[in-house]
Amino acid sequence: MKTLALVLLLFATQDLKVPDAAQFVGAPKGTPVSGEQLFRETNRIGGLLRCPVCQGMAIADSPSEMAVNMKGQVRELLARGYTEEQILKYFELSYGQFVLLKPKFEGVTGMVWILPVAALAIGLVIVFVKLRKLEAPRTTNNQPPTTEDDPYVSRVRDLVSGGKS
Amino acid sequence: MNRTVLIVGFIIAAALLGVLFLGLGKNPAEIRTPLIGKPAPAFALREVGTGQTIDLAQFKGKPVIINFWATWCGPCWEEHPVLVANARTLQPNVQFLGVVFQDTEEKILGFLQQRGSSYPTVVDQAGKTAIAYGIGGVPETYFVDANGIIRAKYSGPMSSDILQENLRKAMTP
Repeated sequence: MKTLALVLLLFATQDLKVPDAAQFVGAPKGTPVSGEQLFRETNRIGGLLRCPVCQGMAIADSPSEMAVNMKGQVRELLARGYTEEQILKYFELSYGQFVLLKPKFEGVTGMVWILPVAALAIGLVIVFVKLRKLEAPRTTNNQPPTTEDDPYVSRVRDLVSGGKS
Repeated sequence: MNRTVLIVGFIIAAALLGVLFLGLGKNPAEIRTPLIGKPAPAFALREVGTGQTIDLAQFKGKPVIINFWATWCGPCWEEHPVLVANARTLQPNVQFLGVVFQDTEEKILGFLQQRGSSYPTVVDQAGKTAIAYGIGGVPETYFVDANGIIRAKYSGPMSSDILQENLRKAMTP
């Protein structure tokens, strides 16, 4: 009975074909991994891929069926000798850069990396210029301000001295 | 200094407004997928009910509407009559194909018997076809032209108008 079921299953699946990673990223460029290393690598690469049906979760952390399927796909590709770069590329070609939890340093997404550094640099420049300006009066004029040239003080002085005389 | 701060502030505000404007102007259901303009990933899956293998390649020469769905998905129930009605009028010039994943064949059969069907439905057992097509949720629909090139993708339940509008993209040479 078991044999019959197996034969039927083989018969039912023999003509089936699912999209293969080779269609997207070519032949494997690495060496197949197995055992404990396969488990570790699957989790590591799974941590770099976003689960498309979860809120900002990696497929390695999500219990959803979609994430489990995607993780299974990562495991299979690693076992076939696909490299990390090829696996990430495969998912990126299907889902777009959205699926990568770490944005790539290219195009518009490069701004994600550049803008914070640029904002920090601009802020530092503004602070530096402001500090220089605050220090400027002390360095250019070491003498305390006198009242000699102040017309208001002179007028008050004249009035006071005029009143005395 | 105050003037410089004002100019820098204005530039930042203008950039943010520009990004907001671009984002708000988009239809979230019309997903930008890297697969647009690329050949539809090849697959051959088992048809629900008959057990026959249906190969996407056998439909080359006419536009194909590939609808990813599941029986547990509420919006798919809403969309199903639209697909069935359009398939009745557009086939055989346009091929409709349902791809079900994360589901059981028994439930799919029950759904189709109860709610009707006018086009083949295949089962994607391990979800590999869905992954290759970048499916994030269901329903999601791909519009493939007669040469097997993906021309449009729509996420969410479609009305007849939306279906026709996207199909036009797959009809134009």
